[in-house]
Amino acid sequence: MIDVLDVTKTYRRGDQQVDALRGVTCHIPRGSCAFIVGPSGSGKSTLLYLLGALDRPGGGTIRIDGSDLTAMPEPELNGYRRDHIGFIFQSFNLINNLTAIENVLIPFLPRGVNPMQRERAELLLDEVGLGDRKHHRPRQLSGGEQQRVAIARALIKNPVLVLADEPTGELDSKTGDEIYRILRRLQAEQSTTLVVVTHDRRFIRPDDIVLEIQDGLLRSDGQPQPGHLAEAR
Amino acid sequence: MWRFAWKNLLTRPLRTTLALVGLSIPILGVLGLYSVSGGLKNLVDDTLEKIQGVVVLRENAPSPVFSSVDPAYVDRIAAIPGVRAVAPEVWGIPPTVEGSSLMTRAVSGELGGLLSGEDDRQRMERRMQTMFDAIVLSGQDIPSHEDLNTAVFANAMVPAEQGGGRFLDESDIGENHIVISTKIAENLASPDGTPKKVGDTLRIGSDPETADVFEIIGIYNTGSMFLDVVMITDINVARRVLKEREDKISNIYVESDDPRRINEIAAAIEAELPDVDAREMDELATDFTRLLGDLDTFLLMIVSLALLVGVVGIVNTMLMSTTERFAEFGVLRTNGWSRGDVLLLVTAESAYLGLWAGLVGCGLSMILVAVGNQFVGGGLKLALGPGLIAFGLGLSVVMGVLGGLYPAWRASRLVPMDAIRLGSR
Repeated sequence: MIDVLDVTKTYRRGDQQVDALRGVTCHIPRGSCAFIVGPSGSGKSTLLYLLGALDRPGGGTIRIDGSDLTAMPEPELNGYRRDHIGFIFQSFNLINNLTAIENVLIPFLPRGVNPMQRERAELLLDEVGLGDRKHHRPRQLSGGEQQRVAIARALIKNPVLVLADEPTGELDSKTGDEIYRILRRLQAEQSTTLVVVTHDRRFIRPDDIVLEIQDGLLRSDGQPQPGHLAEAR
Repeated sequence: MWRFAWKNLLTRPLRTTLALVGLSIPILGVLGLYSVSGGLKNLVDDTLEKIQGVVVLRENAPSPVFSSVDPAYVDRIAAIPGVRAVAPEVWGIPPTVEGSSLMTRAVSGELGGLLSGEDDRQRMERRMQTMFDAIVLSGQDIPSHEDLNTAVFANAMVPAEQGGGRFLDESDIGENHIVISTKIAENLASPDGTPKKVGDTLRIGSDPETADVFEIIGIYNTGSMFLDVVMITDINVARRVLKEREDKISNIYVESDDPRRINEIAAAIEAELPDVDAREMDELATDFTRLLGDLDTFLLMIVSLALLVGVVGIVNTMLMSTTERFAEFGVLRTNGWSRGDVLLLVTAESAYLGLWAGLVGCGLSMILVAVGNQFVGGGLKLALGPGLIAFGLGLSVVMGVLGGLYPAWRASRLVPMDAIRLGSR
């Protein structure tokens, strides 16, 4: 499970100080599907990236399955991201020089890829419907196909948490639907926790957790609730 | 990881090629310079190996041509214990030979080349020859030279059956008889291209009325460009031609009765005669190596500037490459790559760049050295051995790595979130 307690994050933009998060507290149970929604610049992506240990909060704590990300030294955080967290980005962010299967295996490249990892990458590409395009480069794939490669890459490590930042933002609605179907199926099969930042509420199901964020604060029922648990159903 | 780095380089082939050329040219320069100095050193070593005695010169004289020693020293040196043979010599630059001096040969060569329509290769060959054509006249005291075991020119005679004639003997004392090298014979060829041969004559002197006419009695070939410029005649004849006084001695060649004691003999001569240098060949070789070392250092300083430019080229290439790939580094970091992994990736790319630049530079050097050796004669062989090639490759890789360190460090310091945001703009 994910426990976020009174997390703040401040940026400097030129001479100005921007409070991206102003004391966010929330709880996301393991295996659930959570959506972070809100207007542009509200702090959605900042919260997502903090959950993924891509940056450190200015204050507060973030625990995933008991591990305090905010207290981890840098090398441990790298290892945590490599082994436990999968990322999916709006613009796919595949490496153009690498084939689909090599993109899926990126987390393992520095230490060498073993046959089991390669086998699992092939299996995942089969599962996202790209079994016959494993050796294609991103330029040879459509947007939807690239995002499916990104999903396979996020899941290659059997992560406890998959974070997706506007995963259908650059896709048409039909392809977006397909991506969500795949994402939800694999999330359910692997009992992974899925946290998605989106503008598009049509993918949210009644039993999903919705974290509505505005001006760096979590809101429920449209009202700011700084420091409060926000678990909307 | 290494394969990934390799693929990244191939993504921008033009940029990679330009950076590669920028570094490979200085590498070519380094190897070229070292191959020339290595070739010179080998040539000097080979030449000095032929001279196994001690050469006694006036103190600080750079060569026998600029030396003059007291004639009385001949007997004083002969009296030193361990000295087996003492052979006085006179050296000098002769006046015009066959009506031309070095300068007139150079000018007429250029004109002749223009009129005959020689091609580039022929022109380069001719100029190289002219450069090493400064003929030197050596007058030898014939009786004492006949006692030498290691007489350089006498031991390098072309066999008589191949037209080499004979070396000077006592019948040549006071006679206008001369021994020349095959190289001089070719350089003084008749207009139809026939080289001088034994029995031909040779005029030394600028005035046709008073010039000395010599009969060529022998032809030698040491194979060294430093030695094959010497014409040898009787010492008194040389004094007359060079307009030197009758007892002039340029240097004294000394042999020991035990070649292993040659250093002791040299030291004893210098102790006995404080105003001379007694140079044995090991010492000369060491001096020359030191001189070449100084020259190498100087040349390396110049080439270092070119290397610096090459490295700046790599820094520029890698900076452009990494700046374009911020999002990629962000993605790698989100997937668990550490800062060290990113640093290694970018450094590996620049190391590959250095390796390829080294391979290209070494390849070009090998080709140019092979071509250069076709043009350079006189025993000089540009030396580009495996050690030098390995040095060139190693230097290039090191330069590549150095050029990649700053861009790699910059890429590795990016916060993943910032990297993705910056890269997505």
